[in-house]
Amino acid sequence: MSTSAPPPRELTPLATLHPPSTSRTWMTSPHPQLPMVATACSDKTVRIYSLTSFTLLSVVSGGHKRSIRSVAWKPGTRGESVLATGSFDASAGIWRKYERNAGAEGGVVRDEEDYTDGKGEDGEDGDADGDEDYTFSVLLDGHESEIKSLAFSPGGNLLATCSRDKSVWIWEELEDDNFETVAVLQEHEGDVKCVAWHPNEELLASASYDDTVRLWREDLDDWGQCALLSGHGGTVWWVEFEGADMLGAGGMFAGEGLREGQRALLEERERAGPRLVSCSDDLTIRIWRRIPKARGESSRGPNGVPSILRTSSIEEEWVEESQLPKAHGRAIYTAAWSKKTGLIASTGSDGKIVVYQERWKSGTSDTGGPSATSEVNGEAMDTTDGTPLTPEESWKDKPLTEWVVVAEIEGAHGVFEVNHVCWARRCDKGKRSSGEEVIVSTGDDGEVKVWTLNG
Amino acid sequence: MEANKDNANPTILNQSDLPSRRSDSGVKKRDDGGTGLFDSLVPAYTYLNDPFAQQASSSDTDDDSVEEIDEQEIYDLISTISDPEHPLSLGSLAVVSLPDIHIQPPSSPRSPISTVLVEITPTITHCSLATVIGLGVRVRLEQSLPPRFRVDVRIKQGTHSTDEAVNKQLGDKERVAAALENGTLMGVLKKMLSTCE
Repeated sequence: MSTSAPPPRELTPLATLHPPSTSRTWMTSPHPQLPMVATACSDKTVRIYSLTSFTLLSVVSGGHKRSIRSVAWKPGTRGESVLATGSFDASAGIWRKYERNAGAEGGVVRDEEDYTDGKGEDGEDGDADGDEDYTFSVLLDGHESEIKSLAFSPGGNLLATCSRDKSVWIWEELEDDNFETVAVLQEHEGDVKCVAWHPNEELLASASYDDTVRLWREDLDDWGQCALLSGHGGTVWWVEFEGADMLGAGGMFAGEGLREGQRALLEERERAGPRLVSCSDDLTIRIWRRIPKARGESSRGPNGVPSILRTSSIEEEWVEESQLPKAHGRAIYTAAWSKKTGLIASTGSDGKIVVYQERWKSGTSDTGGPSATSEVNGEAMDTTDGTPLTPEESWKDKPLTEWVVVAEIEGAHGVFEVNHVCWARRCDKGKRSSGEEVIVSTGDDGEVKVWTLNG
Repeated sequence: MEANKDNANPTILNQSDLPSRRSDSGVKKRDDGGTGLFDSLVPAYTYLNDPFAQQASSSDTDDDSVEEIDEQEIYDLISTISDPEHPLSLGSLAVVSLPDIHIQPPSSPRSPISTVLVEITPTITHCSLATVIGLGVRVRLEQSLPPRFRVDVRIKQGTHSTDEAVNKQLGDKERVAAALENGTLMGVLKKMLSTCE
């Protein structure tokens, strides 16, 4: 399963957020602007930690009767932070906190400052709900059983929630604290484990206990399923879109001297838009891509006759593009796609954290899959190495890229399972570059750990 | 309730026929299966009331010095669980049996994780309580074993009409966690596990 050659890069523990929770923690979400994270805890609270001092800032409590399973920050807020919580008590909560300096235009953050002065006033017990703290503002009721995940759309006006009741709900915030249900999507045949929004389209992805991923968008006035992604052989625990700007910002794919096939692939990707990653109980992590619609194709009705009623169908074709090298021995709970570097980090029941990178495949070798891991050569991410492709080797027949493991660590939370990983901007004084990212992991031991990727 | 039992006349094994350390030609001498066996290994664990109260400090892996845990010890932990509808133990009903317990060591030298797989055999093929029994076994082992053990509970293949569906539920950490917050279900589980002490 694992290769003998060690991965070229190293995950190093930077900090454990202090103090940890005394019970299981499920997931952690970085604030879109401020240097802090929110952690969903099984003790019915959310713990807010600083990413500059790595200490607890506040404990948000009192809104839910059971475990808080999921937490999300509303993007683009000004002068306040807005937090959504999804709980096993079947409800979602919206919490607000006044922030003196939050919400700079475009999410620009001055890293050295920590605007959240809650520390010291609140202590660790979370009982002191002072004026400056998070106030519970809305309760979203409707699901019949545990809420598993929730996510704000990039514009912040839509909130998606999903539940063991097999449904996905979309809520629209019409004005402050006034939410309306705009869709109840019921096609899934099992618990819906995770929801995620496309970075720049109103396209929602959901992952389920029914082993599928489904995509949803609005068609005229109704939301409907626009794609069904089958292939996983077990519960799909997590789904996440690629960053919107990976072609330009990814670095790995930029550069001169691309071969013809490589250029064609990048053009196709640009037309298709961000890809999707999903991970599962079946121990695989899969990348899915959209087949761009041919021009004019979408304007035809079911009989091939151009339709005047509908200018387009919402149907989209998504296909499995590749699978990441198999690195986990038990259920994979999260695969997090860095919006900045294009790296993917995964974690799960085996307690490992694994980081993968996509790179151009060298021309001659077509032995894809896990065996390619042994070819990892840290610095050789050169786009021009390898033998040239023969003209007939199109990217459509043969993958031009491959994913390789670049770092992994066993027992990231000791003997405990790790439920979640995500990427966050590094904000502490040890930061080595302005764009440096850290990995934040959340475990059954109640700990949230921060990791740097070296090498 | 009494009249609606799924299986009113289950086969019951004799206590002396159940596997135990003593009949095992006594490699080690132990008083009896289960009772207090792990008290020295596991710091007084109160999972049922406060699932993780004791776990925070146990991440420093002092488990290494602990003697190996074998299948018989796993059997001793779960065979005394009561069947939810009969006043009998899972061991005497042969719902759990020694050959259906498998311990897998860590998959690599760097991994601290061992796996326990328990295959359970419901008394009849359509037993609606298979999920509850499986949950009881999983909860009992998660309470009692050091956290380095991952516990997998499955219905033995071919013994239950919906075994795949039950297996999927029992293997779903999130569903198990939510189930343990369900008061009614926890009442049933507590009763099943009350005979384990």
